[in-house]
Amino acid sequence: MLIKNNQYNIGHICSTLQCEKGFSEKVAFKFITSKFQEKFYTFKELDSYSNQVANILQILDINKGDIVFTFLSKIPEQFFIFLGVLKYEAIIGTLFPNFGEEALYDRLSDSKAKVLFTKKSLYKKIAKIEDRLTQLKYILIVDIDEDISGKVLSYKKLLNHVSDKFVSEITSPETPSVLHYTSGSTGKPKGVLHLHKAILMINQTAGEILQLNGEEKYWCTADQGWITGTSYGIIGPWSMGVTQLHFEGTFNMENYMRLLSSEKITIWYTAPTLLRMLMNGEDDFYKQFDLSNLKYIFSVGEPLNPEIINWSRRVLNKDTYDTWFQTETGAIMIANRPGMAIKPGSMGKPVTSIKGEIISKSDLREEKINTPGYLCLKKDWPSMFKTYLKNPEIYENKFKGDHYFTGDEAKMDEDGYFWFIGRSDDVINTAGHLISPFEIESALLELPEVLEAAAIAVPDPILFEAIVVFIKTRGNDSEELKLKIRLYLSNKLSTVATPKEVILTENIPKTKSGKIMRRVLKAIYSGQDAGDISTMEEF
Amino acid sequence: MNIFDDLNSIFREVFDDDTIEVNDSTTADDVDGWDSLSHVNLIVTIEQRFKIKFGTKELLTFKNVGDLRRAIERKLSGTGC
Repeated sequence: MLIKNNQYNIGHICSTLQCEKGFSEKVAFKFITSKFQEKFYTFKELDSYSNQVANILQILDINKGDIVFTFLSKIPEQFFIFLGVLKYEAIIGTLFPNFGEEALYDRLSDSKAKVLFTKKSLYKKIAKIEDRLTQLKYILIVDIDEDISGKVLSYKKLLNHVSDKFVSEITSPETPSVLHYTSGSTGKPKGVLHLHKAILMINQTAGEILQLNGEEKYWCTADQGWITGTSYGIIGPWSMGVTQLHFEGTFNMENYMRLLSSEKITIWYTAPTLLRMLMNGEDDFYKQFDLSNLKYIFSVGEPLNPEIINWSRRVLNKDTYDTWFQTETGAIMIANRPGMAIKPGSMGKPVTSIKGEIISKSDLREEKINTPGYLCLKKDWPSMFKTYLKNPEIYENKFKGDHYFTGDEAKMDEDGYFWFIGRSDDVINTAGHLISPFEIESALLELPEVLEAAAIAVPDPILFEAIVVFIKTRGNDSEELKLKIRLYLSNKLSTVATPKEVILTENIPKTKSGKIMRRVLKAIYSGQDAGDISTMEEF
Repeated sequence: MNIFDDLNSIFREVFDDDTIEVNDSTTADDVDGWDSLSHVNLIVTIEQRFKIKFGTKELLTFKNVGDLRRAIERKLSGTGC
């Protein structure tokens, strides 16, 4: 039973409850470093170490409901801190380790985070913005032995002063839990706030879709900076007592294949971009790896193109199942799954208890079969986000009547399968990460050489969509400037914001009211007809 | 300045970290932020600064900074393919 004594606390359920169920000595995760050193952590250790984190927050006088972030790579402390913060009933946010200082500043300042857990090598980025983060009370560094200042403390040292016992208070289902930032079509990224009751939906889908049960050996490759990494790299599997693999190293075709084989992974949850990179190998390369234990491959983040499904059938002899969800939905909403025929290229069908609908763009009524429209979900599922932090109006605008508007466009066929068509806004989906053109353009305008900037998405065979930026400069066009722009976006925002191409141009097409005409830029880029340009400002 | 010094400066610029010290055995797992996208940044910067070009298949053979350095040296000496 997932909920005992009305206790919805995610941290408690994923560790303490698993021990109470008799899994104390069971391996919660095997951690493999980038140098292939191995360490096992039991559920008892997961419980004790996360208890210590909760006790640290207590001695630092942090309040329940305060926001705490991790800015860490995939290391064991990431997991202990995530669960410990939740046990304490503070809100946990996770920051992608490749974020640049502006992306970090936007999130930490907007959320008024009180505590940040990081490591020495990543602290260098924080140090550049620390003075501006006036509300941040403590920075805890996991791999230093001595405090740097009264604000920058050694996590290890604090561990020596706290107990590994902590009893989570009974946490109501409506208590705020996890915070992830996501990009919308306008403005800076917004904080998507979830509640502890999200565990109901995450747990359900981990079983119903990912086929997890206590016997599986599971590997979710997503970074904990993203919703997949927290919902299905922490909460889903550990709420079921599943043993996970967590690998610190970066993607490398041989290493990944070797791990799937040597670790006897039975269920693998990954992303189309990674699978497309894996497809670069010759077919014979894969024959050396024994994948007889691997039952299912699942994918999330971008549409899974039929080529991947066909490749995984031909080369790996496995089916790959596409799943669809968003930061806002908190858990998988629509998916292909074992036991249901795969229609290659389809998103699959809604999970049990979720009602997906296609709503007409013209009259907002339910759309006919096989006709594109807005992809909507009937609201009030357990993992539905509670709000956009400090943006309640934008939150309200996502709902009309009983429907949550996802921002995606899709169609539904006669068998009830959904088919993704595209975004209904300008948000770019690159390698499964959403990024707003506005965020990129705002950063670019801070460069003295840039007069005007526009960012668009273009189709990409590996990333699904790649970023192309058009720049009107102050007259210093050069290859060196293009390189500077590329590195600037990568370092200030994130590596996922790196443009595939920087195009220096005389003019950026805009409407008479000054809005960038991305449609025209996309047409120019692809060499197609720009269509109706009657509203375009004359150059 | 030798190639190593130039390469180290490029790493510092690409990864925006003045403390980076690479050597022949440095790999992507030793540098925070060295993912597939920043790897493209690294290659583009190296190509531009050294005025050389890498082939797609050649890129797949680089396992560490030493492989990268040797490839640059071959190209600069005119023996690269």
